[in-house]
Amino acid sequence: MSTPRERFNATIHFRKSEPLPWAENIYDETVIEWVKQGLPIDQITSIEWEMGRGGTQLINWPALKGFKPHNQFGCQNFFGCIAPVDIGPIPRFKQQPLNVTERYAEFLTETGARARRSKTGEYAWYNMPMFVEFPVKDRVSWQAYRVRLNPSDPRRYPKDWDADSYMKTFEEYQDGITMLRFNGFYGFGAELMGIPTFNIMFYKDPELIHDMIEYWEYYIIETIRNAVEALKDRIDVIYWWEDMADRHGPCISPKLYREFLLPHYKRVTGFLVKNKIDRIMMDSDGNINPILDLIVEAGITGTWPLEVNAGMNAITVRQKYGDKLFLAGNLDKVELMKGEGAMKSEVESKVPLLKEMGGYIPGADHLIPVEMTLAKFREYADYIKKFL
Amino acid sequence: MPVDQLQEIAEMIGRLESAEKITALFNSVLAQGVPASEIAEKAVRPGMAIVGKKYEAGEYFLAELLYAGSLVTDLLKILEPAMKSQQLPSKGVIVLGTVRGDIHDIGKNIFKTLAEGSGFEVHDLGVDVDPNSFAEETAKSSPAIVALSALLTTSLAEMKNTVQTLASRVLENDRNIILGGNAVTKAFADEIGAHAALDAVEGVELCKRWSK
Repeated sequence: MSTPRERFNATIHFRKSEPLPWAENIYDETVIEWVKQGLPIDQITSIEWEMGRGGTQLINWPALKGFKPHNQFGCQNFFGCIAPVDIGPIPRFKQQPLNVTERYAEFLTETGARARRSKTGEYAWYNMPMFVEFPVKDRVSWQAYRVRLNPSDPRRYPKDWDADSYMKTFEEYQDGITMLRFNGFYGFGAELMGIPTFNIMFYKDPELIHDMIEYWEYYIIETIRNAVEALKDRIDVIYWWEDMADRHGPCISPKLYREFLLPHYKRVTGFLVKNKIDRIMMDSDGNINPILDLIVEAGITGTWPLEVNAGMNAITVRQKYGDKLFLAGNLDKVELMKGEGAMKSEVESKVPLLKEMGGYIPGADHLIPVEMTLAKFREYADYIKKFL
Repeated sequence: MPVDQLQEIAEMIGRLESAEKITALFNSVLAQGVPASEIAEKAVRPGMAIVGKKYEAGEYFLAELLYAGSLVTDLLKILEPAMKSQQLPSKGVIVLGTVRGDIHDIGKNIFKTLAEGSGFEVHDLGVDVDPNSFAEETAKSSPAIVALSALLTTSLAEMKNTVQTLASRVLENDRNIILGGNAVTKAFADEIGAHAALDAVEGVELCKRWSK
């Protein structure tokens, strides 16, 4: 019997896997809703021993690590074992409240943004905070921020970082895939400047964008170098976060992508491939069809979530790109939430054919939303298993 | 000739040329005594229309739309002093806001910029707007269009509430409600008796058709 990791790896390398792995990302608040609806909390929470609450006491103490609901349904968590490389600003901005009213709480985030959260909504975090100010606005603020992006800072790796022991951990892990994550060139810029400013700057101050992207290439390669060169293909998948599209299409045109992003993509993917890591998955919501040729040329070899509402269709992408891209997601969460006929039709219309075509990990076309009830998710889980 | 220059400004906006170049020609036309209304009508709006067409054709994307929006906003600011003394023809009033419970405004602001650049007067109520505020502003300013924005799927119920409040309290049959934002689909808009725009350009085009 193969392990979850072996099944996942077989599939993303276009080899046969029986059964096909099924992977989902689930919002924590969805899990909380499911607990209210009857999911047994003692079976989905993960408690592990750690030394006295962050090292403040020399004793072993059980600490709550989060939710692990996937086994309850027979699916895998997309994020299995993650290489512990810190790519954030160091020193971190200290998260703190800035202005709290009856309706809103404004706070400084760890990335240095000012965010506003509604206090009145039903879901505190699912109703995403609105960013009202970003740390990078222009050349001066970028230069200031760059100081916190020093790849040589020893705090980027855990205190117990030891290549040999991590190699062993990554080799032996079987509950899912091993992964290294970082922001891509659009994702990092939009996160630091905000979507409107970052996009406008491609025209208003292209030199700034070139400088930011060039630095990010250097920073990412040098920051992940130790992990990549030690772990090599013990890292199954690179999770390259971009979120660079909306329903209309990519946020930047193919022309801008080619000019500003493509050479840097190639150098980072080249570095990874040189170290035997060739499964590089880009996460972008929205309609990425107009830049898929460029993404493939850039060295990306997989994509998730293939959002149906934005016009993405895994079958047509597979037909066009063959084994150049492994695909994950693309089951319309709205149809899945409806259950019964709508859910069945969505699963039936895609999973069997894509299984036959190969290189496809079935799952919803984004994280499982809070509106998905436990009963509907169970119904979906029972049904999709017939096609795996 | 100012007419040629106005057309040139429109084309420069359409080509997304640098703000410096466009502003220089813009100021020169203004200095020749061309009325602000004519500049807005024959340079700014056609320029924005070119950008909108290229966006719809898949040549331009969000970055191009945002840059064009920032250009047009800056150009309209230059016209503002002159516009105070001249009656600028408006395509109509749009009451705009993000519905209660949703505090996101990127999409709303893009729509606002494009709508203003296209000649609409936008009364922006901001974010997290309750149905009564939409109703009060609609009663006060008699807009041709009410535009509701929502990013979140959890805000769709509030969109429905707002449409019902407007329909029951203030709207006559000839008032149009347009819904925008990532959570909105055509099917949802049909279901609650409104119109969906899948992006800001489609929304403004819809408004233009209604205002004819």
